[in-house]
Amino acid sequence: MTTIDGSSVKKVIVACDAGMGSSVMLASTLKKQLAKNGVTVEHSPVASIPADADVVVTQAGLADRARATVPDIPVVPFQLFLGDPVVTKLVKAIQDGTTVEV
Amino acid sequence: MTDYTPAATGTGARARVQRFGAFLAGMVMPNLGAFIAFGLITSLFIPDGWVNKIAGTQTDVSTQISSVVGPLIVILIPILIAFTGGFRVYGHRGGVVGAVALVGAMMAPVALPWLTGISLNGEEVTRPGSIAEIGPTILAAFVLGPLTAWVLKKWDNAIAGKVKGGFEMLVDNFAAGIIGGAMAVVGLYIVGPITFWISQGLGWLANALISTGLLPLVSIVVEPAKVLFLNNAINHGVFTPLGIEQAADAGKSIFFMIESNPGPGLGILAAMLLFGPRAVRPTVPAAMVVHFLGGIHEIYFPYVLLKPILIVAAIVGGATGVLWEVIFNLGLVGPASPGSVIAWALVSPPDNLALNLVGIVLAAAVTFVIGALLLGFGRKESAVDAAIDLEAAQEKSAENKAAAKKA
Repeated sequence: MTTIDGSSVKKVIVACDAGMGSSVMLASTLKKQLAKNGVTVEHSPVASIPADADVVVTQAGLADRARATVPDIPVVPFQLFLGDPVVTKLVKAIQDGTTVEV
Repeated sequence: MTDYTPAATGTGARARVQRFGAFLAGMVMPNLGAFIAFGLITSLFIPDGWVNKIAGTQTDVSTQISSVVGPLIVILIPILIAFTGGFRVYGHRGGVVGAVALVGAMMAPVALPWLTGISLNGEEVTRPGSIAEIGPTILAAFVLGPLTAWVLKKWDNAIAGKVKGGFEMLVDNFAAGIIGGAMAVVGLYIVGPITFWISQGLGWLANALISTGLLPLVSIVVEPAKVLFLNNAINHGVFTPLGIEQAADAGKSIFFMIESNPGPGLGILAAMLLFGPRAVRPTVPAAMVVHFLGGIHEIYFPYVLLKPILIVAAIVGGATGVLWEVIFNLGLVGPASPGSVIAWALVSPPDNLALNLVGIVLAAAVTFVIGALLLGFGRKESAVDAAIDLEAAQEKSAENKAAAKKA
């Protein structure tokens, strides 16, 4: 388990294999949810996650590759692209500035 | 180092295959716009395309516009792929030398008198007289793009800091020119002939699979690979190159349909909606829209991973679709990417449109029926399923992973 301090998150990266399909979809959802909090949400392929990300969100099947790309950035793996509780928890923590165990 | 970064190397076999596939797909996918332009012009303006079909005669305008089709597929697309492969290894300079080198390989069958193809269907093989008659050299692009860029990168690193001030541009430009030109010669005499024969062999194998009716068996590999997030690797690393070779020759290809058929995914989602674990049912309708219309197949993979037995349904459904396509000799004129029903309709040849859509419906229906059976029509929902909540499922998959790693 790792603890993420929601108040320190300024840049969220949503990663998928090609960085063109599912990550774009989830990133646009998160962008709307986090717009008020001044948090940048971007999408990228797992092979080229930008090093200045504070947290990486990706599907569990791609999490190993995300960790290999950015070993020092916490990776939050989720199961479902829509309505996954882990993603909801993370969003809430960032909105409220609280910490979350993921 | 936290628990979140235990496998910093990501050396699992699956991650390795994913990474190699992503490397190939990464050369194709940024260029999908060119493939789609090729597909649309083909379906509209070739002799039996929509325009002539609707006009009821061979129109001059479609004859003129269809002249764009050949150069797009045999010249532009391979060069774009070689450029992108080089670009990903060493930026713009890498892309440029990769594209230069590919032109050597492209010309191999034109320039080399000893390089002739094998006969695929009993027709006599003629050597292409000019670049307009060659096939698309995607395989050579996969090799020469990254390889040439890598050579340039090594050279640049070797001389870094050793160039006298003011001579940097001269050295940089001529290094790129000489390495690109030399690799074009390597492409012409070595990489071009080798990839030409490999392409011929693959083409022969693909034809054999189609003519013996064994092609539906590829679903046994394709459907499980898809849900392990190898979908792009398989589609754009394997099927798009094969399809482009076939489409350059026959005007359409079945290989564009194998991975991109949205039917099996729709069937899985429909089965999940009606008979899946109750906790996940509410998330399914939105997923169906994104999958079937938006063409983002990734969205159904987690549902299969939640209930792995469903992969059987996807395999049989996928194979049903392929069988249908083989029986009626169907194809798409270009890659349907993303794999949405809308993309399928837009790149279907006019004569195949209705039957292609039936192929999607069949695949979806078969997957749904088998999926529903495997889920026991929801009635057999066990205590385990009833209690299923996503967090528990995630913990379980983490455990599975840990166990798999130990093994």
